Amino acid sequence: MTRINMLLAAALVASSLYLVRTAYESRRLFTELDRARSEATRLEIDAKRLEAERQAQATNLRVERTARERLAMRTATPAVTVYIADVAASGAAR
Amino acid sequence: MKGLFSRTRRAGAVRRSVSYSSSPLLASKTPPWRSKFVVGLVGLGSCLLVGRAVMIQIVDNRFYLEQGEKRYAHELELPAHRGRITDRHGALLATSVSVPSIWAIPRDVQATREQKRELARALGLSLAEIEKKLGDRESRFAWLARQVDEPVWQRVKALNIKGLYEAREYRRKYPEGEAAAHLVGFTNADEQGQEGIELAFQRELQGKDGSRNVVKDRLGRVVEDIGDRVAPVDGRDVGLAVDAKIQFFAYQRLRDAVLEHKAKAGSAVVIDVTTGEVLALANYPSFNPGDRRNLSGAQLRNRALTDTFEPGSTMKPFIAAWALETGRVTPATSINTAPGSITITGSTIRDAHPHGTLTVAEVIQKSSNVGTVKLAMQMDRREMWELYSQVGFGQKPQVQFPGAVSGRLRPYKSWRPIEQATMSYGYGLSTSLFQLARAYTVFARDGEVMPVSMLKQDVPAAAGLRVVRPETARAVREMLRLAAGPGGTAPKAQTIGYSVGGKTGTAHKQEGREYVSNKYRAWFVGMAPIDRPRIVVAVMVDEPNNGVHYGGDVAAPVFSQVVQQTLRMMNVAPDLEVKPQIVAAAVPESF
Repeated sequence: MTRINMLLAAALVASSLYLVRTAYESRRLFTELDRARSEATRLEIDAKRLEAERQAQATNLRVERTARERLAMRTATPAVTVYIADVAASGAAR
Repeated sequence: MKGLFSRTRRAGAVRRSVSYSSSPLLASKTPPWRSKFVVGLVGLGSCLLVGRAVMIQIVDNRFYLEQGEKRYAHELELPAHRGRITDRHGALLATSVSVPSIWAIPRDVQATREQKRELARALGLSLAEIEKKLGDRESRFAWLARQVDEPVWQRVKALNIKGLYEAREYRRKYPEGEAAAHLVGFTNADEQGQEGIELAFQRELQGKDGSRNVVKDRLGRVVEDIGDRVAPVDGRDVGLAVDAKIQFFAYQRLRDAVLEHKAKAGSAVVIDVTTGEVLALANYPSFNPGDRRNLSGAQLRNRALTDTFEPGSTMKPFIAAWALETGRVTPATSINTAPGSITITGSTIRDAHPHGTLTVAEVIQKSSNVGTVKLAMQMDRREMWELYSQVGFGQKPQVQFPGAVSGRLRPYKSWRPIEQATMSYGYGLSTSLFQLARAYTVFARDGEVMPVSMLKQDVPAAAGLRVVRPETARAVREMLRLAAGPGGTAPKAQTIGYSVGGKTGTAHKQEGREYVSNKYRAWFVGMAPIDRPRIVVAVMVDEPNNGVHYGGDVAAPVFSQVVQQTLRMMNVAPDLEVKPQIVAAAVPESF
């Protein structure tokens, strides 16, 4: 009887210690997960910001001005364009 | 009672002194009721404690639970993003970005003078302003700068001043700026749509904030989730039918024309005929939606949709179309417009330039008021009213946009003969430029008037409402081609490589009850390529004031440039012979 009790007591102690450890571990992991999540949110926000910035760098106004002034480009007109019919596409359309 | 107590006391004292009180210290002089009293007190105390415990643990249990929870549980808001507005190719027209706002706890701030100077430089403020903001040493909060750019915060952070913090706020950005300002609209500081698409699609764009309940530890770290997490629902992106490039180009050309002709304002609308999508909707004067200080109503107005005006000569093709449709005339039927005026119930209608006998086609080509009136007076007023209504005049356009107006078309029963006559050439009714552009799809679509859409259409457009037969529409297109050709009213509408057709309009402006002789509106509505139209373009310039004021001189060149660019961007092959100007090394033709 005593032996069983001793055994149970030891098991109880072991189990309690394990519980404490698990609880600690789960909290630690949760914190990490949470940090990763907020990092993801931050990166997402960053991506959106950068996308907006990229777009701001490529507005039609800026493209047009750069093309005209820095690269000395002109607007294409049909007079300086060679039109090639896409045979495959127009064949399919027919 | 008193007697009873005193007797026992006496008896006890006697007994104790007899049995074991050799020491006088042990001789208790305490009256026995006192111990009972103490027992009673203790009993009462424990009763109170039990009662209190019952109160706390059973009766007020919930209150204490809540209070306890408040100490460790926190509700965190999970902000949702407002949806983006994109053009048909996915280019951003409006997007929300998270930007830092810098705040301080003034009483914690420890900065040297040099640091403060550096801070002022980074924020673009004067040193005095910084001192003022941080001056109140008792204060626990002060904004230093709101919604600054990211590099600014990085610079401030690098200064390493204690007591400065950042908070994240959302700011709406409009990369296309003023070119698409009226179309896209804007939001207020709380990201609520105020104008344009931002307002029209407020419900779709707006997300729903989520929340989560968490347990925080002593250091403020989140250690556990409690209960369910309500995920934030981001706002939906809205994909417009507009093409940012066409929009930009139309805006630019319009602005140039308004400035060149010293006009008050202008609008341009481009509609894709095959789908009914609005490819561009530009207005000038415009504003920068990112910076809306000192805005005037004139800048804010989306004239193409909210301003109505008398459409003038641009109505004539409808009358000609109906005369053809009902078999009253053919394009070659002669009409005598001499001597350049006609009198109806005492009022005289004149042509700007008298013409002799004209065919119906020439009436449109030369824009003869008299010829048009002669066509219209053969019709019943009800017929005319139905025709105008069917193409959308006097009807609110079915378009998802705030503030679109219906224009004015009075019921036909109240028309007097002279009014029927003036309405045939566009006076006595009013319409917006947008309505006018849509009405012209009836010619471009072989007799069907198209439903128009601000949103990108993924499915092929539904069939329009048939108003006239395809042959009629084609015949009118032929007239419009003449009107935009040599001998017509708008040869300046011609483009290189694409056949065009369209109608000019020049109308006196009405102020109060009178028409003002020196104030005009000039416009041009047309389509291209004329044989199989892809786009309808409408241009309006308000009060051109630099010598010329005819639609053919002021609005038609804008039309020409917009058509040229738009068709090229839409990869439409030119339908006219173009003399190639390609200078290249002579390579033998191999295809």
